[in-house]
Amino acid sequence: MKKWIAGAALALTALAGTANAESHGSYPERPIMLMVSYGAGGATDFQARIVTMTAGNDDALGMPIAIINKSGAGGRVGWNWFATQAEADGYTMGAYNIPHFIAQSIEGGVSYSADSFEPIANWGADPAVFVVAADSEFNSMSDVVEFASANPGGLTFSGAGLFVGHHIAALQLEKAAGVKLAYIPNNAGGAGAMRAVISGEVMGGVNNLSDAFRAQEAGTVKILGVFDLERNEFLPDVPTMMEQGYDIDNSSVNFRGVMVPKGTPQPIIDHLAATVPGMFENARVQRRMTAGGSPMHIMTRDEVLEMWAARQVTLEELLAGL
Amino acid sequence: MNSLPRTQHIIASGLIAAVGVTVAYISFTQEPAAAYVFPRLISSVFAILAIWTFVKAVLGRTKVGKGLSGGAIKNMLPGLVILIAYAFWAAKALGFYTATTIAFFMVLTLYDPAPHNDPKTWVKRLLITAGFIAVMYGLFAMLLNVFTPREILFR
Amino acid sequence: MQFLYYLDDVFTITNFALLLLGTVGGLILGATPGLSPTMAVALLIPFTFKLEPQQGLILLGAAYTSTVAGGAVSAILLKIPGAPANIATTLDGHTMAQKGEGARALQLSFLASAVGGIFGVFLLIFLTPVLAKWALAFGPSHLFWMAILGVTVIGTLDSSSVVKGLLAGCIGLWLSTIGFDDIMGAQRFIFHDAVAGGINVIPALIGLFAIPQVIMMLTKGRTDQSAEVITVKKHPIGQAFREIIAKRTAVIIGTITGSIIGLIPGVGGQIAGLVAYDQSKKFSKESEKFGTGHSEGVIAAESANNAMVGPSLVPLLTLSIPGSPTAAVLLGGLLIHGIFPGPDLFINYPAVAWTFIDSMLIGQILMCIFGLYIAGLAASVARVPHSVMAGLVLGLAVFGSYSVQNSMGDVYVMAALGIGMYFLERFGFSAAPLVLGLILGPIAEANFIQGSMIANATVGMGTYFFSGWLNWLLILIVLASVSYSIWMEIAQRRYTAKEDIV
Repeated sequence: MKKWIAGAALALTALAGTANAESHGSYPERPIMLMVSYGAGGATDFQARIVTMTAGNDDALGMPIAIINKSGAGGRVGWNWFATQAEADGYTMGAYNIPHFIAQSIEGGVSYSADSFEPIANWGADPAVFVVAADSEFNSMSDVVEFASANPGGLTFSGAGLFVGHHIAALQLEKAAGVKLAYIPNNAGGAGAMRAVISGEVMGGVNNLSDAFRAQEAGTVKILGVFDLERNEFLPDVPTMMEQGYDIDNSSVNFRGVMVPKGTPQPIIDHLAATVPGMFENARVQRRMTAGGSPMHIMTRDEVLEMWAARQVTLEELLAGL
Repeated sequence: MNSLPRTQHIIASGLIAAVGVTVAYISFTQEPAAAYVFPRLISSVFAILAIWTFVKAVLGRTKVGKGLSGGAIKNMLPGLVILIAYAFWAAKALGFYTATTIAFFMVLTLYDPAPHNDPKTWVKRLLITAGFIAVMYGLFAMLLNVFTPREILFR
Repeated sequence: MQFLYYLDDVFTITNFALLLLGTVGGLILGATPGLSPTMAVALLIPFTFKLEPQQGLILLGAAYTSTVAGGAVSAILLKIPGAPANIATTLDGHTMAQKGEGARALQLSFLASAVGGIFGVFLLIFLTPVLAKWALAFGPSHLFWMAILGVTVIGTLDSSSVVKGLLAGCIGLWLSTIGFDDIMGAQRFIFHDAVAGGINVIPALIGLFAIPQVIMMLTKGRTDQSAEVITVKKHPIGQAFREIIAKRTAVIIGTITGSIIGLIPGVGGQIAGLVAYDQSKKFSKESEKFGTGHSEGVIAAESANNAMVGPSLVPLLTLSIPGSPTAAVLLGGLLIHGIFPGPDLFINYPAVAWTFIDSMLIGQILMCIFGLYIAGLAASVARVPHSVMAGLVLGLAVFGSYSVQNSMGDVYVMAALGIGMYFLERFGFSAAPLVLGLILGPIAEANFIQGSMIANATVGMGTYFFSGWLNWLLILIVLASVSYSIWMEIAQRRYTAKEDIV
């Protein structure tokens, strides 16, 4: 009797297996899951929820996308899971954050690298900015650097963690200005780092442009500089680091987009790469993103592949000195 | 205190002490040291307290904890096997709803005091199982859109 | 008094229907193990896409309020806290239910929740600007001392032996260090893939509380339990009202502790109930009765965890900083509608902001009414045969822990911790200190490391952790708490020694 049941179960598993392996013509035929490696309510999570809200439309994927949060250790928990345990069947997508995961893979101790994932499309680019509390005595980056030169290692400033965009920006600033700073990674992510700045626990901080823009609107911080090549449309009055005389490029800009695990069937990747950028361009999505203060930057799969490769090179250079 | 709980207490606290000492050993030998400052602190306290409890158990001074009786072990064993098989294997291998149906029905059958030879009790058990699964499906699959591993019987 | 002006908005047909939906839905979700308030609110966000901002927030506000209180239902009836906030409720609540006083415990818990909750929302309405400064006053050193204060509670919490309580706490603290460490990103104690992402508090909570209950039911075997079925005493609501008034010390301690702790970003609701329970026990004339089904324990814990709801939103609404995970999710809900919280929120979007707050106020009252109704169900739950209950709780535990982050690993962690906890319980350990250790571990560690980094860059460790009135106040409370526990232990030992002679 037991053998009989075991046999039947085996047969059923085999049947289910063959059923899965059939052609991908009708993909997707059930809802898709999008893994976000940061907590619910964070900038990545919030933006992921907006850009995927039209997924169920017929001109997009025709199936809804559900967000699953796997947060911890600056994103390592989620990406580790995505690289090692996620099913490569096209029904599990992940959100990536550049430079975070590439920097972490260079630093080591994780089971992923740029080769573990297949990008689909990029939806946003959120530059890092330097913020200080509204009542701070610093009014420009040169004030900050002056203080740091007078007190080597004594200028405390917060960021979302180690080997994330904020940390990269911090390293670039140290290198370009030739000073020693005290970078304090926060365990509560960007929101925690921002709180530390506003309450005066630290003298300044590197944070996401979108969050800093909101905090500036709330009157709690001043934004002193943008870690990007050009000024941002949300903050036309804030100069870039380059303008203020520090040789800092856009390596720390936080690119966000979706990817699938390596091994996902090529037809599915092609299908997604063709439809997803259009989904991001939806007018409703654009309106909500602008309303939420989140800069969009849509890139196709080929553009993202190029950007990943370029980041890999610059980050290896930057982190080699550590 | 009779001897059975005392032996059990020695075994239990011995196991905990072993875990405590292992954790402390790992904390003090692993690199990078900076990441192990906090584990070192707590594992030291952990190991000391665990050894203290172990010594107390050996001396027979343990005041609380009733231990396990033979009857209790005999009663729970089949259920424990179902629990382990369900949580660690069946839920993933057979799919959540299939596995839950089987596990629920088995627990119900094994622990229901009603006589097994009456067809009415079987109907009742099936109805309760069906009702439970319907509620779970309604709550998790339809209302909350939770994605569970694929079922082997249906998709 | 602007909140009165917008009170009308809550009572339009659509809005009130949403409020009802949020309240009832929240109670059900809250009572389901595994669905913490944060999860419940996150799950509801997609529904608000289709609604106006005002309506969406009414739904979220009502759901937040009632999920917190709903967690008490499973805590009392099944000894499974719906969320970390309800751990303290299990200690006396479930013992009361076992004595047939489930209905009374539920009524008291909902009344206490409403009192605490309404007080908390009034704090939010009237004292927001003052409280916002207070919320910012807690830096890493203060949060570290707060966590230490929590640790001192561990030893005396629901444990007949202080050493075993502390040992359970240490096990919890160690479990919390498994996985990647949050700041350095180093992997620690990863002995199996399931714990690679660390041990999530919610699945651990379900396992540690629910699985021992299941196994305990199983040990009864195929016995006919109709002989030992608990008769649930009917308990008139009027009597519950009178009892709340009579036990006002517990209500006041719970409400004040809950409001203060709710305000502190990052510590928040998870430990408000436990600290209030402990304080109330220390101040009570009948402190030895705590843990044996004493109603003051339920009242203090539940008034505290609902009092924290209002203040926990202060940093979000005034400074745009989410102070708790749930607030972070609510922030997302606001941003999706293009609303930026901040000091001018009440000027730019008064109709949204005030209606949101009003909905939480009315939500508290509705929650209390429905809750009192649910209390009547205590009798039916007690009549469920243990074979059905065991299967039911087991199924819920597996689904609940899986749905936190769609992870099989969480189910394995839940089951493994649960089975281990059953055996530990047989040897005098209890789950509450273990979970408290698990919750406090990351708070203590991260703030200690951040604090020492800041200290080393600026004033030095000694000055940073031991200066300022707030640090000293917290240190004094820690010392008082420790000496009280030691004193109690000595007094109790004398007491038990006497009993041994008799």
